[in-house]
Amino acid sequence: MELLLQTLLNGVLMAGVYALVATGLALSLGVVGIVNFAHGEFLMVGAFLSYLLFASRGVDPLLSLGLAFLAAFLVGALTYYGLIRPVLKAPELNQMLLTFGLSILLQNLALLLFGADTRVVAPPYQGAAFHLGPFFVGAVPLGAFLLSLALLLALHAFLTRAPLGLAMRAVAQNRLAPGLLGIEAEGVYLLAFGLSAALAGVAGVMLSVMLYASPTVGFLFNLKAFAVVALAGLGNLKGVIPAALALALAEALVSTYVPGGGGLVEAVFFLVLFLALTLRAWRQA
Amino acid sequence: MRRNLLLLFPFLFALLPLLPLGVWRAFFLDAGLFVLLYTALALSWDLVARTGQLSLAHGAFFGLGAYGAGLLVPHLGTLPGLVLGSLLAGLGALALGSVTLRLHGLYFAIASLAFSEVLRTLALKLPFTGGPIGLPVPPPFGGGSPWAAYYLALAVFLLAVALSLWAERSPFRLAQAACRQSEGVARVLGVEVVRVKLLSLLLGSLVAGLSGGVYAMKALFLNPYEAFSLGRAVEALVIPIFGGLYTTLGPLLGGVVLVGLEQALRLWIREGYLVVYGGLLVLAILFLPRGLLGLVGGRRG
Repeated sequence: MELLLQTLLNGVLMAGVYALVATGLALSLGVVGIVNFAHGEFLMVGAFLSYLLFASRGVDPLLSLGLAFLAAFLVGALTYYGLIRPVLKAPELNQMLLTFGLSILLQNLALLLFGADTRVVAPPYQGAAFHLGPFFVGAVPLGAFLLSLALLLALHAFLTRAPLGLAMRAVAQNRLAPGLLGIEAEGVYLLAFGLSAALAGVAGVMLSVMLYASPTVGFLFNLKAFAVVALAGLGNLKGVIPAALALALAEALVSTYVPGGGGLVEAVFFLVLFLALTLRAWRQA
Repeated sequence: MRRNLLLLFPFLFALLPLLPLGVWRAFFLDAGLFVLLYTALALSWDLVARTGQLSLAHGAFFGLGAYGAGLLVPHLGTLPGLVLGSLLAGLGALALGSVTLRLHGLYFAIASLAFSEVLRTLALKLPFTGGPIGLPVPPPFGGGSPWAAYYLALAVFLLAVALSLWAERSPFRLAQAACRQSEGVARVLGVEVVRVKLLSLLLGSLVAGLSGGVYAMKALFLNPYEAFSLGRAVEALVIPIFGGLYTTLGPLLGGVVLVGLEQALRLWIREGYLVVYGGLLVLAILFLPRGLLGLVGGRRG
């Protein structure tokens, strides 16, 4: 029983980061209408930024969080301006190919610059942990979970209260009408894409401490985020948190209870994705 | 002129082993073999792209064919092993396609990428694949003839060209184009959209599986990172896009230029070579949407 509860607890803590990455993905998909295969590479940028700052100047990852938010926002905005905007009206195949090409480009650029090694950011509190009764909670996963939750709540408030957030939801619902009401769709797209990247950048800093920074760290996370988004329904922000929870719990259960499950954890997301799509196809037919 | 060019390619490749190339002979034969295999893979990707679907699973079909051949050839002989390996790829394609091709196109793209990642994980973990250590594969026909692998690659290449030409010249082309341009309209016109997409994917995956199988017998050794590498999926799609989408000649041109270049540059750059492909893909989408063929002013399909 204790093992089960500890497993569930680990799953819940992981779900925060999943939800953060998947929300960014859903934001660019819902508002801009772009399937961003390079979303994971924005995460990688955050992870490497955190590593480089820590390794060269000893900057605490907590400080890097803010820097990564800004840096990833900038990268996202530049990507939107230089690459996405020209293909907004192109066929969907071209859009997906473009972001896929960007993903391959950034991944392998990092491989050329930093090599394939995994690099961990190890601040003094990395191993710290609390004991809650019989359970064991790492300080870093708990902090990442709480921070992710806070960011998602802030985003929710922004989308429901702030005028710009309302404009974003308007553009997501209808491509034409907001323009007639005086909303600049271009600016909203830019903001949405930048924000989406910024969320991934912050997640990258968290992962540089919880996991590691490497050229391919973002790629797998992006695939998992796709599974979460497919489970939640495309562009549906509200469904992301329960879907992330479902994926993280399934992974935690497999890693604890399936013999030799340590390696197979990386296949769980595909099962979730496949089941979600089967259900969707079956309901549609 | 186009027809002559098309005939020239197979002819040149058939003659390559007979040319007096001196010390460069081994290099040219290897490069030629990989040009043939990857061009076949690219043609098989284009076959799927003609229905408007983005397949990121061609690396996985290639890997399934490679592992299928690697596991079966020692027991069944070269040709049966090769064919069954390719059927294995076809089976994977049917499983993937029957669920995702009914949905919006982006679901297929995402699921196909996830599919290839998961197959690599499975190849690492399953008990009979050799795991991370790898799987030794015998050369074709017991290693009797040094050119066997080359001519097998040529055969797969010719099959891919023939399939692509058939799809380009028959009424199937219209069905594919209708699916690509508007599924709704296609359905109203009486095109069975899901069936056309599924058939294209099946044919594409069979060819990809065959080229994977020949690759296995050429490489003589498989490991999950090589066989299910994402790089293969990238090559499969950059070659047609760079050469010219939805044509037969485009992937041929793209294959000779890009794979030839890669074989030469690989002598200097090893890790991270995909940077070139990623950059080319982005540039081609932005500035050269019809590829090399668009530059010389081809007809649009």
